[in-house]
Amino acid sequence: MNFFFHINLIFLVMTLTSNTFAQNQIVADLSQENVKISTDFQGAKILLFGAYDGEKGDDIIVIVTGPKGLVTVQKKEKIFGVWVNTKKVNYINAPKYLSISSNRKIEDILNKKTQKISEIGLNNFNIRIQPGIKVENEKQWRQALTRNMLKSKLWSVNENSVSLNKDALFRSFLKLPSNVITGQFEVKILHYRNSKLVSQQINSINVSKSGISAEIYDIAQNYSTLYGIFAVFLAILVGWGSNLIFRKV
Amino acid sequence: MYIYLPIAEQPIHSLAILSVGAFLGLIMGLVGVGGGFLLTPIMMFLGIPPPVAVASVANQLVAPSVSGVLSHWKRSNVDFKMGTVLLLGGVVGSSIGVLLFNFLGKIGQLDFVIKSSYVIFLTLIGTLMFSESLRLTLRTSRGKISRGKLHQHNWLHGLPFKIRFRKSKLYISILLPILIGVVVGILAALMGIGGGFIIVPAMIYLLGMPTSLVVGTSLFQIIFVAANTTILQASQNQTVDIVLATILLLGSVVGVQVGSRFTNILKGEYLRLILSSIIILVSLKLLIDLITVPSDLFSVIISR
Repeated sequence: MNFFFHINLIFLVMTLTSNTFAQNQIVADLSQENVKISTDFQGAKILLFGAYDGEKGDDIIVIVTGPKGLVTVQKKEKIFGVWVNTKKVNYINAPKYLSISSNRKIEDILNKKTQKISEIGLNNFNIRIQPGIKVENEKQWRQALTRNMLKSKLWSVNENSVSLNKDALFRSFLKLPSNVITGQFEVKILHYRNSKLVSQQINSINVSKSGISAEIYDIAQNYSTLYGIFAVFLAILVGWGSNLIFRKV
Repeated sequence: MYIYLPIAEQPIHSLAILSVGAFLGLIMGLVGVGGGFLLTPIMMFLGIPPPVAVASVANQLVAPSVSGVLSHWKRSNVDFKMGTVLLLGGVVGSSIGVLLFNFLGKIGQLDFVIKSSYVIFLTLIGTLMFSESLRLTLRTSRGKISRGKLHQHNWLHGLPFKIRFRKSKLYISILLPILIGVVVGILAALMGIGGGFIIVPAMIYLLGMPTSLVVGTSLFQIIFVAANTTILQASQNQTVDIVLATILLLGSVVGVQVGSRFTNILKGEYLRLILSSIIILVSLKLLIDLITVPSDLFSVIISR
């Protein structure tokens, strides 16, 4: 594997030099573009590597965004001595995976205002709340969303995780946790010089279930009654079979 | 060895699940009850989402119940007529239970209802079992054995539509076992249990069935209630994880067989004493979870 990466890197550098750095550009590739969730899946580690036309002090930020959709935040309150979910807020386009990686602290790369404008940072993403619901203290809900997504490892901030080499090469490991959601992931690589965006590239990763685990999931979704009957049938068979086996022991 | 669960959508240590299944099977074989109502909370403690835990445990319960009924049948310890009446109620009840389950999921109170039902029922059954077995242990150690009446008569026996259950030597209203079946069915579907720990005392104390028939007959009706719950959960909510259920049931069928071979060696009262202590501990853990201030008042649900 490593050998091929090096070949790839050399190739990338050659492409860059042959372009004689005409435009400021960034070229990147991933060690794996298709992540398969099979029965032995325990998460994935993908190497992002590439070349950029850099100068001393340049920065690289990598933002990986997973599929977006409904994420509900619930709040518990004490009622008659027990803690019960009483309130909720629906975020309709929240990324179900989000990782922000950089070569140094993001606050050292961009000031707060720029972070906000370019939607970099966990709390700067524009996530919409389901219309029609009046939300008090919106900030507290958004913070709760961020906190819980960080806890589940589906969101992460990895400062100092992009390594730069000779202002020309960069690499970073992207980690997908075992509870990752399937779908299309966007990998956005941003090259900054003096807090200004010089160039960017977008790659993508496709995460899908594969093998027996994918088939089971599909059957459970599409032929759900049949799946249930089969599950019962299997259990009866094992129960009956075990009785036969153990009778002789 | 980790294995990825396709419906729960997370990896889990297969040997851990296998041994949990075996341990619960052992208890089931030894005491006759106690599969689901310990298994579902343990699955939740292990991080399986409650809806998946409840549905998959219902699925796995079918296997040890079939295995158990077959061995009880051989010893002629099953009242099929009573079992059929109970399961009619049970199928109706578990269907209501799955609908209720759906509704609670929609309004976001499923976790709370599952956990608080566990606290209530586990505490109740644990305490009853504990005091009962403690009394029995003390009595047998003093060497006194008393024989009471066959069963007590109360107002429940005055209900109409009486029917004769020859095997159980009972002449009671058919409404009573049907009603018991419905109630147990609802709880079974909601809590991911067979309902053995509720139906067994109900059969003894409310119906007045002979103790020898109780376990076999309850297992017989559990097969159908669990099967109905599994099929409905699968078709309504897609929450049955067949991989999780299969690992659990492979462990449990072995456990049941081993356990049932030890029943003659170990004293039943001591077993019940141990089991009831476990039940009380589990319900305490769940209760503490409900009443202590959560480390985070907010939680997140990610729609798939």
